[in-house]
Amino acid sequence: MLKNYLKIALRNLWKSKGFSAINIIGLAIGLATCLLIMLFVLDELSYDRYNKKADRIYRVDGDIKFGGNHFILAVAPDPMGATLKKDYPQVEQYVRFRGQGGLLLKKGNENVQEDKVIYADSTLFDVFTLPMLDGDPQTALQAPNSLVITATTALKYFNTTQAVGRTMLVNNRDNYKITAVIKDIPAQSHFNFDFFVSMATLEESRRNNWVSNNFNTYVVLKEGSDPKKLEAQFDALIDKYVGPAVKQIMSIDMAEFKKAGNYEKQYLTPLTSIHLHSDKTGELAPNSNIQYVYIFSAIAFFILLIACVNFMNLSTARSANRAREVGVRKVLGSLKANLVKQFLTESILISCMALVLALGLTFIMLPTFNHLAAKEIKLDLLSNPWLLPALLLMVLITGLLAGSYPAFYLSSFKPIQVIKGKLAAGFKTSWLRSGLVVFQFAISIILIIATIVIYKQLNFIQSHKTGFNREQVLVIHSTSPLGSKAKTFREEVVKISGVENATMTGYLPTNGWRNDNPVFADPTLDQKKAVSMQTWDVDEQYISTLGMELVTGRNFSKEFLTDSSAIIINEAAAKMYGFTEPIGKNLYYLRDINTRSASVLHVIGIVKDFNFTSFRQQVTPLALLMGENAGNTAIRINSKNIPHLVTQIENLYNKMAPGEPFDYTFMDEDFNNLYRTEQRMGVIAISFSALAILIACLGLFGLAAYAAEQRTKEIGIRKVLGATVSNITAMLSKDFLKLVVVAAVIAFPLAWWFMHSWLQDFAYRTNISWWVFIMAGVVAAFIAVFTVSFQTIRAALMNPVKSLRNE
Amino acid sequence: MIKIRNLEKIYRTEEVETVALNKISIDVKEGEFVAIMGPSGCGKSTLLNILGLLDDPDNGSFLFNNIEVANFNERKRADLRKHNIGFVFQSFNLIDELTVFENVELPLIYTGVKSGDRKKRVEEVLDKMQIMHRRNHYPQQLSGGQQQRVAVARAVVNNPKLILADEPTGNLDSSNGNEVMTLLTDLNEQGTTIIMVTHSEHDARYSHRIIRMLDGQTVLENIMV
Ligand SMILES: Nc1ncnc2c1ncn2[C@@H]1O[C@H](COP(=O)(O)OP(=O)(O)OP(=O)(O)O)[C@@H](O)[C@H]1O
Ligand SMILES: [Mg+2]
Repeated sequence: MLKNYLKIALRNLWKSKGFSAINIIGLAIGLATCLLIMLFVLDELSYDRYNKKADRIYRVDGDIKFGGNHFILAVAPDPMGATLKKDYPQVEQYVRFRGQGGLLLKKGNENVQEDKVIYADSTLFDVFTLPMLDGDPQTALQAPNSLVITATTALKYFNTTQAVGRTMLVNNRDNYKITAVIKDIPAQSHFNFDFFVSMATLEESRRNNWVSNNFNTYVVLKEGSDPKKLEAQFDALIDKYVGPAVKQIMSIDMAEFKKAGNYEKQYLTPLTSIHLHSDKTGELAPNSNIQYVYIFSAIAFFILLIACVNFMNLSTARSANRAREVGVRKVLGSLKANLVKQFLTESILISCMALVLALGLTFIMLPTFNHLAAKEIKLDLLSNPWLLPALLLMVLITGLLAGSYPAFYLSSFKPIQVIKGKLAAGFKTSWLRSGLVVFQFAISIILIIATIVIYKQLNFIQSHKTGFNREQVLVIHSTSPLGSKAKTFREEVVKISGVENATMTGYLPTNGWRNDNPVFADPTLDQKKAVSMQTWDVDEQYISTLGMELVTGRNFSKEFLTDSSAIIINEAAAKMYGFTEPIGKNLYYLRDINTRSASVLHVIGIVKDFNFTSFRQQVTPLALLMGENAGNTAIRINSKNIPHLVTQIENLYNKMAPGEPFDYTFMDEDFNNLYRTEQRMGVIAISFSALAILIACLGLFGLAAYAAEQRTKEIGIRKVLGATVSNITAMLSKDFLKLVVVAAVIAFPLAWWFMHSWLQDFAYRTNISWWVFIMAGVVAAFIAVFTVSFQTIRAALMNPVKSLRNE
Repeated sequence: MIKIRNLEKIYRTEEVETVALNKISIDVKEGEFVAIMGPSGCGKSTLLNILGLLDDPDNGSFLFNNIEVANFNERKRADLRKHNIGFVFQSFNLIDELTVFENVELPLIYTGVKSGDRKKRVEEVLDKMQIMHRRNHYPQQLSGGQQQRVAVARAVVNNPKLILADEPTGNLDSSNGNEVMTLLTDLNEQGTTIIMVTHSEHDARYSHRIIRMLDGQTVLENIMV
């Protein structure tokens, strides 16, 4: 019996090849997109789960309010980890990470700069699951100058993963010993390092300062212990340990510290929520954002919905054409149940075909998607054992839903009505179908608006006045190896034709170091009048090279000998101090926390606020101090032949620092890197919106074909009565346009609300102008008209004699 | 008014070639009422479609008001058609979604008549056809005879010079059929040229002249007195 249903179903599908193809392809694209997003979301949700103790690992994070500043930290005080383990029995183990920049290594005679480097406590392997290929996890990171590397790195440097015992020359000075080789860290990890250096190598690791927060600290809790209970004891712990340190530095006790509105809180962040929920100061790497998981899940849901709606629409439309067949079958004695089964067999068959096609499509689209999303997702149906059944279930439900309406509706009709064609007439103006088309278009319009707004925001970030000029700036990283020659290098570089200016500094708005310090407005170092701010050592070329602007006052100058104690603050800082006449004011900068000796600085200028963190945050206070810091050299160039200029600069560098790697970037690229996630997500969102719209168009295309077919006779009559091709096309398009208008009315407020909420996340954001809505409406209308025009023009061109013959 | 010479229409399908009109020549003068008769499949409808500028001939000449229209393009034909020719079909061919009024109004819309004038004109015609009281009904709500009266109303609303009717009484009983025939005769008396295809000798007697066809050719012409 089933075989018979299948046979007839296949024959029916084949008979209306066009409809079947549109139906299958539309559903397949929808399923494939949905599957891709599902894989993406699964991947995002699986971060750090590879750790066997993932559910028991927590990072100790901080929330500190001090002076006018508020820090949300992914790092904890130096001794936090060890203290937790010592004082609280439920803490099984801890490990700390400390980033100190990259290492300069030697591969043969070649210098190689490695940046994926971290200092880690010897307990690393008790906490994280990092399987070892060679070496002993217990001892690997104990001795100073020990190095644990990943398999890929071992192969790169030693051509073998059995590299324990080998040595590497680091920074042209020290020999580090390879003590272990671990498997490459899974892509789904919130940290990704190639080199783990033993913490003992760092002098700082023995400092045990409770008021400096520099270590990413992870703890494993014993099985069954409640993190909330541990967290509840943190306040007492802070009073006990941080209190004395505060007293020593600021001469106030913890109670006074708190009374002044300050606080320090520590809390536990579950390991598995770091990747999607953590965007704090001191992260090991920029994390993702749960927002994207939500956005993409919503897009996937809507795409699937659009595809299903299509499927239903086309199926019901097509089945209306079969009303007569149903009538005849009933007259001939077919039972209602048989008809229902026949229709359902057909729709489930279509959805199964779509699933097969969807799997193929996913397979084809995955590399592109991985490239866009910077992921390494694989389509492995077996690794997620529930994925295939889930998909099958999804397809089955889609098939049943789509098939059930025509199945029950049609088969319940009395044969005489159906044969007389009453049903077909009723179907033409089906509210259900109009509603579904409106729904599809509303979603499409929302997606179009979202796409435009995302694009606008990305553009805004690109073109927003950042307060500095990032175009045509070459940044040479680590000019520190030049040592005392760094200044000479800067002077020589400026002499090259095509170089306009150059500045030597470790601190740049787009990358480089950050240095946060309290700066006091009062000689008594009253912390109420302190502003915690970035203090950057720069030279007198800094402001001009980077194209920053002074609001008042003047730049540093060699002609003023007193400028060694001059300070230029940004507008945000000036506002925080409440200065009306800032020039000439004195500020006090703590040189040594133990002796509480401060140096006096006099304000000589106010620099216009420039962005040095993400656009998601407001510009915070910042001060420029005159100093020599050879961290980077930023060079403003003005040349048509940039490669040639870079070569000249490189030659100069190599002459002055033989054997050192010449590592440079362009400042505009560094800037773009800050927004890579946003841009990536923007591109993905745009692609998915395009897909959703494509699916909606496929459906519309089918429906237009159906509508034209239904109205063949009418079109014929109208033509006989003198209607022109354009009359007919306009008439048919108008019906669809009406639906688009209704869809727009529904979509506009929703889209505004969604995108308004999204933009709230940016401190610097574009607005949603009215033209966005007009544009989305016009685009949707255009797409609708364009899609249906294929069918309508074809219908309009048909010879009326033919259409009237088919009576 | 109509002068066709050696008109040919050949339908080609994959296997067969049907000669629907075989070098047919006919003249119709202004004000005439002509009936076309012949066995099924002899090419009557084909001829009527060509006369009505719905279809183009493969060969021969077709002068409409002394203008050669045999090789007019679709656009020109549509233009000529909507101003000069009205159609009545056996199966009425009313649009189900439109009311009686709207059905009759359609040709006026396509010839660009202003809405106020349209209303007046449609009401005039509906009055004449005695279906004014049904103006807001839909075609399915009418009897066959009423539907055909609406179709005739629609055919004459533009004051065409020529009305082509393909078996206008084919779907009607004899009393409804006679009613429609009286309508057509009245129109003819007011000066409209009428060409009508029919299988009924009774209906043919309303005409001035009967053209008898066989296998795409005229075989006999009877002048009625
Ligand atoms: N579109 C077409 N394709 C192929 N053959 C056609 C087509 N239209 C008509 N014919 C053939 O042309 C011939 C004439 O058809 P036509 O419809 O003019 O006949 P008719 O005289 O009107 O017949 P009836 O009295 O049954 O309406 C017939 O043999 C018919 O099969
Ligand atoms: Mg015929």
